[in-house]
Amino acid sequence: MRTVQRYLPLFLFLLVLGLFSSSCKKEDSKPAFQLSFEHEVAGQDLVMFTQWYDCAAGHKFQVHRLKYYLSNFNFQKLDGTTFQTGLVQYIDLEDPSTLSLLLQEVPEGEYTGMSFIIGLDEFTNVNGGLPNTITNINMEWPLPGDQGYHYMKFEGRYDSLGMGSIKNFNLHTGATGGNQNYVQVQLQFDNSINVNSGTWNIHLMMDLNEWLQNPHVYDFETFGPMIMANQDAQQILKENGADVFSVKAIEKE
Amino acid sequence: MKQFYFFLLASSMLAGLAACTDDTVAPEDNWVYAPTPYQLQVPAHFPILEIPEDNPTTEEGVWLGRMLYYDPITHADSAKSCATCHVQEHSFTSDPTVIPHINLGWSKNFLWNGKLQNGLEDAMLFEVSEFFKTDLSRLEQHPDYPRYFYEAFGERTITYELAAKALAQFERTMISANSKYDRVLYGDQTEFFTDAELNGWEIFFTEKGDCFHCHGGILFTDNDFHNNALDTEPDDGLMAITGNPLDKGRFKTPTLRNIALTGPYMHDGRYETLEEVIDFYSEGLKRSDTVDPLMKSVHLGGKHLTEQEKSDLLAFLLTLTDSTYITNKNLASPF
Ligand code: HEC
Ligand code: HEC
Repeated sequence: MRTVQRYLPLFLFLLVLGLFSSSCKKEDSKPAFQLSFEHEVAGQDLVMFTQWYDCAAGHKFQVHRLKYYLSNFNFQKLDGTTFQTGLVQYIDLEDPSTLSLLLQEVPEGEYTGMSFIIGLDEFTNVNGGLPNTITNINMEWPLPGDQGYHYMKFEGRYDSLGMGSIKNFNLHTGATGGNQNYVQVQLQFDNSINVNSGTWNIHLMMDLNEWLQNPHVYDFETFGPMIMANQDAQQILKENGADVFSVKAIEKE
Repeated sequence: MKQFYFFLLASSMLAGLAACTDDTVAPEDNWVYAPTPYQLQVPAHFPILEIPEDNPTTEEGVWLGRMLYYDPITHADSAKSCATCHVQEHSFTSDPTVIPHINLGWSKNFLWNGKLQNGLEDAMLFEVSEFFKTDLSRLEQHPDYPRYFYEAFGERTITYELAAKALAQFERTMISANSKYDRVLYGDQTEFFTDAELNGWEIFFTEKGDCFHCHGGILFTDNDFHNNALDTEPDDGLMAITGNPLDKGRFKTPTLRNIALTGPYMHDGRYETLEEVIDFYSEGLKRSDTVDPLMKSVHLGGKHLTEQEKSDLLAFLLTLTDSTYITNKNLASPF
């Protein structure tokens, strides 16, 4: 029994050392970006279903559903190099697990801004371009002659000119008639961030009202609730989409 | 000292071995627990089928599930079996409100109002423990079932959880993917749509009829809940489960696969025929507070399809019938 007692402390010491050194490894690992996707309407918090908002075309509207893809994330460094990821992020306001994205193994450097696509590029936006999950299947864009997926389903209802005539709207964006229609977004950081360790939280804010204005006023009445094959409506949404996102905050954990 | 440790090590290894053998051969008799993996036939054009790690599909499990499905012993007083209401020749439905069993392996929500949302095993647990109130002691005393359970799960005690797992395994084999629609689009290009079917396909998959936003994808359901504008005062639907008034009138989207076999239609079976359903979507929509935004023409009362468009849409819906499913011997009664 003595031998056991004599060697036990050494054994425990080795065990603790082992545990400690393995947990230490984290410190050496590369930095990470934690993107979070947040939503508002004209600077107000988004309250789904019940809250009425005003839009530039003069209608009141409610938000009932929002699902969309972001892809081709690209982070720009001061030295001109970039960090890219091929991940496609599906976002559904009713599923909190989709509202953030952790990007690990971020190369060190001084980052000045980022870009991404709302929707999917022409290589991914083909039938079967995304994994065959129920979520992706529900985003399919099956119009005969077109292919790929809905980029965005932004749905709700509006009160026409606030006169009590309530109709549904469905801003469904995607590629139609050979037009890709995805939105390229470029965001500069207010101050560049020196990324050399730890996790950086980047809060991205989508202002839903910006789909309906800047540079064009989008009027639900003009286009009606069915716009999937309507390239005029798609074009307006594509151009309005460039400024729907902003960087709300960046902080290091 | 060293010897003492060797003794400890050796005896624990022996104990471990003994435990192992205990798992495979029960000493009193020659039951064997060596389940054979079941080769699920998931067509390439279907979504990934997620199977819980703790309930892999096996020949033995599927067999047991099929027995439990068809054997009235599963019911507390043997009044009925699952197949009394879920009848194969009707795509496993029968009277108005019974939901068919077809491709449930991909389902996330069960029952019209979504009462069960924790996966297929959990849904089956409800069916045996609460709906059928299975008398487990009768299964235990049965000449065969204890062995079936042992062969499927290596367990000597029959529980609701194991019965549910077996039923879930059987349900996962209930895959229907051989309708005319599948053969035309994913087959060897020997079958084609008629003009009427092709036209109906366009109505279904464009905003003309706009059925696909809810009944879309290869499963012909989005696995979600919607108020499809049936009533001005809708029934509770999902609200019965969530208590949220915004969920009033929201029901599980039924699949349209085998729809010609599963009438009458809607959660209360209010429509006898598909013609009536199409008339409803064309001019019978009713407004209520929770109507889904995807019911794009509710303010007009419906899509206002022409008679020709209606009959073309119907022709398309009929291409979703898979007659091999309702005659598949592997899904039929084992008795
Ligand atoms: C008396 C007739 C009857 C019997 C017997 C019966 N069911 Fe059902 N089943 C129904 C009805 C009715 C519904 C729809 C009920 C609802 O949604 O409220 C249903 C729905 C279901 C559903 C939900 C399907 C879906 O897509 O949401 C499952 C799963 C199910 N039954 C499994 C079983 C199993 C397993 C058994 C045998 C243990 C069984 N049923 C026996 C009548 C029956
Ligand atoms: C907004 C989503 C939505 C749209 C769009 C929609 N449906 Fe439905 N459909 C449902 C829901 C939800 C039910 C079940 C409603 C209930 O029983 O209360 C249903 C029920 C049905 C049923 C009865 C199924 C059964 O097993 O009882 C048929 C048939 C049907 N729909 C066909 C269509 C057709 C054809 C179209 C296009 C013209 C269409 N649906 C458009 C959501 C939708």
